[in-house]
Amino acid sequence: MKVGIPRGLLFYRFYFFWKTFLEELGAEVITSPPTSRYIVQKGLTYGIEEICFPVKVFLGHVLALVDRVDLLFVPRMVSFYPGEYNCPKILGLPDIVRNLFHLSPEQIIDEEINARNRGMREAEMGLIRLGERFTSNRRKIAQALQKAEKVHREYRQQLQSGVLPETLIDGKQSLLPKEEKVLLLGHTYLLNDSYINMNVIEKINQLGYSIVTPDMVPEDRIRLFLKKVPKPSFWTISNEILGTALSYLKERDPKVKGLVHLVSFECGPDSLVGELIGRWVKKEEQSLPYLRLEIDEHTGEAGLVTRLEAFVDMMRWRDSNLESHFSPFAAS
Amino acid sequence: MRATFPHLLHLDIVLGILYPTLGVEIVPPPPITSRTIEIGVEHAPQNACFPLKVTLGNFVEGIERGADTVFMAGGVGPCRFGYYGQIQKIILEDLGYDVQFVLIDHPRFGWRPFFQALKTMAGGRFSFPRVKKAVSLAWKALVFTEELETQRRALRCQVVNRAELDMVIDGALQSLRKVESGSEFERIKKEAWSDLSALERKKENNFLKVGIVGEIYIAQETRINFQVEKLLGDLGVYVHNSVSTAQYVLNTFPVLKSKEKLEAWELARPYLKRFVGGEGIDTVGSTIRYAQEGFDGVVHLYPFTCMPEIVAKSVLTQVSRDFDLPVLHLAIDEHAGEAGLVTRVEAFVDVLERRRKYWKKAEGE
Ligand code: SF4
Ligand code: SF4
Repeated sequence: MKVGIPRGLLFYRFYFFWKTFLEELGAEVITSPPTSRYIVQKGLTYGIEEICFPVKVFLGHVLALVDRVDLLFVPRMVSFYPGEYNCPKILGLPDIVRNLFHLSPEQIIDEEINARNRGMREAEMGLIRLGERFTSNRRKIAQALQKAEKVHREYRQQLQSGVLPETLIDGKQSLLPKEEKVLLLGHTYLLNDSYINMNVIEKINQLGYSIVTPDMVPEDRIRLFLKKVPKPSFWTISNEILGTALSYLKERDPKVKGLVHLVSFECGPDSLVGELIGRWVKKEEQSLPYLRLEIDEHTGEAGLVTRLEAFVDMMRWRDSNLESHFSPFAAS
Repeated sequence: MRATFPHLLHLDIVLGILYPTLGVEIVPPPPITSRTIEIGVEHAPQNACFPLKVTLGNFVEGIERGADTVFMAGGVGPCRFGYYGQIQKIILEDLGYDVQFVLIDHPRFGWRPFFQALKTMAGGRFSFPRVKKAVSLAWKALVFTEELETQRRALRCQVVNRAELDMVIDGALQSLRKVESGSEFERIKKEAWSDLSALERKKENNFLKVGIVGEIYIAQETRINFQVEKLLGDLGVYVHNSVSTAQYVLNTFPVLKSKEKLEAWELARPYLKRFVGGEGIDTVGSTIRYAQEGFDGVVHLYPFTCMPEIVAKSVLTQVSRDFDLPVLHLAIDEHAGEAGLVTRVEAFVDVLERRRKYWKKAEGE
């Protein structure tokens, strides 16, 4: 049976998990091609106008698969962290897809994965239900699950060490290591899809910086700093962004010279979380330069480059000012 | 302590009844005007949803009137509302207002802060019988204000003199502001009902019927939604609104979930299988219910970029097709203009009228 995984939204987080799980269950996995102009165009025509850009892109990927597979893989990822949620649009994603593409229940895998109330055990129950679509052999499902979890752990470890998802998934060339770094924040689907972010990572790299993303920060550390927020948000990815930002604001890494936050214009969580981070940054002494980049179908590449270059100037300027300030040779 | 709070239609009346009994002085924000919106828009995150901005404007204007405390409710997600307070608190701080921000949040985030907030909100002295009496009267008042608005929507197309209708209802709302005892309340209620039934009605009775669905704040707050219901009524349409604050309050307690609500969720299931935050699933379910009840159309009201309503809208296209029910989507924010909205509503009513005629003709043949 051919199962199609659209390359969008949580894809960059769970691709290896999903692929392994499905293949172990005997499915043939087909992934939509990397995002392209064509896919974005299609997404724009299928999605309602006001929906956020990442969901539109996702719909473009669905279209690229829908006639080529027996089953579309759009699990309902309600929560993958105990006590937290994903954004309402991700909660409703299978329904959006189902209604827009007129899919029958037999054409879409939409089992609910939900760790919010009863933790990972509950999420696993969802995966087992999902597995039962392929086999009634519970042991086989359990084994597939185990293998998938193992592969997922390895994937996450590689991300921690600085490898980028696109390198692991598509064999994209990795970046040149640089001495200085920029902390790059944002949802995984904005950070890791180089078409929709207009190669922002490569661009930052060419301007002379390596990047750090939330994927590269140990989870314990993120969660430790998140505890310092009076009330964290409800959304796991947003919380990882908050925790990462706070950790670099409170415990400075001298190599990290600035914060770039990719947000999408119509994104609900970003609108609030971005504001919080912006205000935190302002309150810090000798704070890091902070740039918020809005990414959507209207973002122009030229404008993005200009803003990045101006940002680099700002990081350099701040650095030289701080240096002269602290230099033992400076006049006191 | 002088506390202010966000407006939501007649919430100020309800809290006005509740609070004197509790010994907390409240400072209602002035009615929502374009200034309220301007203040909110200026200080709130640009892409935040509209209710956050308007309620922030309420807080600032309440503080300008002398409030030193802000009452706000929290939430557990998955939507933004539960996070409003966190953002608004830090904005007010950064603006330099020295106010206490009392946020009543779900006990999930700790029973202690929950009870502490409750205690502050109940005037520090937590005496159960007193609170109970005040709450019970305030609750009755809330339900009554909603019943009055239900009548206003339903009767607008039916009465000969609309100004009279407004007079009766606004009059009842005004006298509620001064109510102190249960017996007084009953008297106001009785009077309002008898006044309403005395209003002269038109002879005809086959009005177009339109249901309102959507996000709780925009679907109810007439000062923000350009009084869509009134507009429809003036165009001769019978209006029903599926959104209710009283229902919302009840539904925060799982055991009190109303039958209506559960039914709406069941109806929504073929299109939207689960709760997605806010009123998303209610919007879908209520639309289907209106279709089944023979309504001519549905108006969907929500703040621009509202996440659950965008999910709902994505599936409503299919609902509208399957049930052959026209749906007008109206996204409201600070950029929405009244003129454009009026034109769209008029055109929508036009379509509904033509559909009626068409069906009549088709049946006649
Ligand atoms: S988190 Fe933001 S970008 Fe992601 S699906 Fe939700 S609204 Fe869209
Ligand atoms: S339901 Fe809509 S208006 Fe309410 S918090 Fe969510 S996005 Fe904002």
